[in-house]
Amino acid sequence: MSASRRSLRAEPRTARTRRQDWLPWLLVAPGLTWLVLWFVLPLAQLLPVSLSDTADRFRMTLVFSGRIANYTEVIGQYTPVLARSLVYAGAATALAVLIAYPLAWVIRFRGGRWKAVLLALVVVPFFTPYLVRAIAWTTLLGDDGPLLSALRAVGLPQGTRLLNTAFAVVGGLTYNALPFMVLPITLSLERIPTELLDAARDLQGGPWTVFRRVVLPLSAPGLAAGIVLSLIPAAGDVVNPQFLGGPNNRMIGNVMQSLMLVQRQLPRGAALALVLMALMTATVVVHVRRHGSSDLTLT
Amino acid sequence: MGRRRFLRHALLAGGTAALGPALLAACRSGGGDRSRRLVISNWPLYIDPTSDGVPGTVDRFRKQTGIEVSYSEDQNDSVAFFAKIQPELSAGRPIAQDLFVTPYWLAARLIRLGWADPLPLEEVANAARLIPTLRKPSWDPSGRFTLPWQSGITGIAYNIEATGRPLTSVDDLFDPRLKGKVGFLTEMRDTMGMLMLADGKDITQPTFAAAEPSFARLERAKKDGQIRAFTGNDYQDDLLAGNFAACVAWSGDVAQLALEQPKLRFLVPATGTTLWADVMVMPKGAPHRREAAEWMNFVYDPVHAARIAAAVKYISPVQGVQEVLARTSDTAALARNPLMFPDRAMEARLKVFGPLAPAEEAQFDERFASITEG
Amino acid sequence: MRIGNALLVGVAALAYGVLFAPIAVIVVFGFNEPVGRFNLIWQRFTLENWLHPLRDAALNQALANSLALALAASAIATVLGGLMALALSRHRLRGRSWIEMLLVLPLTSPEVVLATSLLTLFVQTNLPRGFGTLLIAHSLFCLSYAGLTLKARLAEMDGSLEEAAMDLGARPLRAFRLVTLPLIAPGLLAAFLLSFSLSLDDYIISMFTAGETVTLPLYIAGAFQREISPQIHVLATMVLVVSVALLGLSVRGGRSA
Repeated sequence: MSASRRSLRAEPRTARTRRQDWLPWLLVAPGLTWLVLWFVLPLAQLLPVSLSDTADRFRMTLVFSGRIANYTEVIGQYTPVLARSLVYAGAATALAVLIAYPLAWVIRFRGGRWKAVLLALVVVPFFTPYLVRAIAWTTLLGDDGPLLSALRAVGLPQGTRLLNTAFAVVGGLTYNALPFMVLPITLSLERIPTELLDAARDLQGGPWTVFRRVVLPLSAPGLAAGIVLSLIPAAGDVVNPQFLGGPNNRMIGNVMQSLMLVQRQLPRGAALALVLMALMTATVVVHVRRHGSSDLTLT
Repeated sequence: MGRRRFLRHALLAGGTAALGPALLAACRSGGGDRSRRLVISNWPLYIDPTSDGVPGTVDRFRKQTGIEVSYSEDQNDSVAFFAKIQPELSAGRPIAQDLFVTPYWLAARLIRLGWADPLPLEEVANAARLIPTLRKPSWDPSGRFTLPWQSGITGIAYNIEATGRPLTSVDDLFDPRLKGKVGFLTEMRDTMGMLMLADGKDITQPTFAAAEPSFARLERAKKDGQIRAFTGNDYQDDLLAGNFAACVAWSGDVAQLALEQPKLRFLVPATGTTLWADVMVMPKGAPHRREAAEWMNFVYDPVHAARIAAAVKYISPVQGVQEVLARTSDTAALARNPLMFPDRAMEARLKVFGPLAPAEEAQFDERFASITEG
Repeated sequence: MRIGNALLVGVAALAYGVLFAPIAVIVVFGFNEPVGRFNLIWQRFTLENWLHPLRDAALNQALANSLALALAASAIATVLGGLMALALSRHRLRGRSWIEMLLVLPLTSPEVVLATSLLTLFVQTNLPRGFGTLLIAHSLFCLSYAGLTLKARLAEMDGSLEEAAMDLGARPLRAFRLVTLPLIAPGLLAAFLLSFSLSLDDYIISMFTAGETVTLPLYIAGAFQREISPQIHVLATMVLVVSVALLGLSVRGGRSA
């Protein structure tokens, strides 16, 4: 494309390039329209909705009233759930790092010619439907399920439960975070030249020193991308607390679902959504400013 | 509503222009012709199926009347179903179904909102066979908008091996020895009705103030970890998998489950419990009224109603079913089952959860959700 | 170092074990003959479910809906995202960083927030919910993935090939068709497949925007309440096998390219 050619070469503007200034805009226009219509506009209209009163919750009719109490109420009522969601998501992300980093390391440095296969094997389980996997976990973790039966045989006390506990929810979240953690870390390790590591070792660096001074800093962007990609879906998850948790392990996504679809309190749902959005967007904007968006695409 | 109008224009201008006719076509469900058709939506496993060459009720109806019936078992969550049909009905558009089966309290809401059509009962001769306890019920005082499909009892199901003893009262659900092995229903009226009755409250005219002690009790039990989960129909998985020792459950389900798990027992607490009904409702503007009347007449024939009752094991709303079941030896036992045909003693324990005014219903829903979702 | 190595390999092996544990359950339960409604407790081996994988008519309908939706949403997302990626990586564009941020945010927003905002918009504008609204929602989050994936691919690519083509006299469109398009074809395919699998698996956003249309995840959530047929496990296994085959092909294709 000529516009690209001109712009890449940064030639002085000629009549031809000026005529084609509209080309990039033409290219982004459809997608941009789509994003504005179905992302910006819906988010923007959440603001007036969040400041409204419910006139009839069954007809879903609202009256704009400037009711700021919607915010104070949801923050007051749901801060514990919000905090729990962040703790669960944080714990799951930390666990995912602890599992994914060694895995990525092994794939990168011990994978040899099986590297592509090993990496693919991390993704393959996720080609089964999300909910079917969740249901499979309920079978595995049930009180009379295979895992507890086996553990009881080796001395786990009777009455220990896994299903419908915080442990199961965090476990489920960790599981689903794994590919989002392993892929970006592996890709960033991939970019570290082996020669660099050899050089570092030649300089009498112990394995720990090499890791801390060379590998970790160089893989930081991948690690950061993995954390963002794990943390955000985990914090907003509905499925794991619903299938694997108990009534004391509900997360903010369950609350949103209940507010919007069961209690039908749209204004309060909208207020909570905006609070959540503000929290998460801050994280993402900081990340993109620091590391760019390319690591977030897993390619 | 300047903002709303603006939004709509923006959508029409941008959205539909960009998407073109495909979206519009996809948004409109196909309008049916007015021939002999009938679209019914019911809960799963709530009718006798065609099996081993013996035609089920739907097939027998098809054959006898020649009406092309679409019978789908796609109801599994009344709240979700309401969310699905609400936008259409509140905009005055007909929905896909001519007739659907829904809980009594949701029917009351639809009647109040003006989203239900009166049933063509004048064409349903067998409607006269409706059992007296369900005539002109509190959810439909005129009796013109609903006809019960099945009725049932909310009780306590338990695995006697897991509890180690027969349960005798609602208090047993709060026994610390069952900690973490107890389930309650997400259906607010079933869970709260039983608890309020145990607290000596009148549930036929429920008030939020009267319910609060029961809410508090439920909330404490949840925080203490006594309650493992709030479930819908999936309490059945948990009972069979051994995750629940005891839970609030529905009578017919347990009668069916007991065939798979002989250790299951069902308790109707002496303090009382809820009698509920799932009722047939015609949504506003449903086109096939005559065919719907024929269907209702068919399923209210005691012979057909007995087939349904024998399969689902709930309380049939049709008089004469007990006699039909008693006639045949392999169904005679069912005719003596007090969970299907409540005797006087059983009837005395059963109460219908009364109607709630909209504001009070919102309070109940919010308080209940603060326990189940908080 | 030896011990460290063994430890690392041990963790990796354990991780693979955990990753495949539920998959094993899914595959195995496709061969179960359940007693009653719920295929959740192992009873005995049977091939019956595999001989009749399409017995569950409502499940088939849900799968068909999901496939049609995923196909349409991925197509929209890949085309719109591809155009955006071209503009962002090949052209100088004022407000570029803002556009890029706009492309990233739907991907990184919590799904419940997207779902809530779309639902309230549909309610406020009285847009009937169904396949159309599902398509809007799915094409939106797929657009982010497709756009960013393609942008990353294009960024890795050298723009000089196109220039060379044009220096040799090719018109811009011709250069695009003959040079750029073949080069980004694997990227387009990857973006399409990624979008497809995301759409196929989406539960939360669909739950809010589906109306009366039932997709596969919505069907499975409902089935958990009423009847989990072994056909669910059979179809899940089939989806897995087909996906792995596609993955194998694309890995091989990627190598030869």
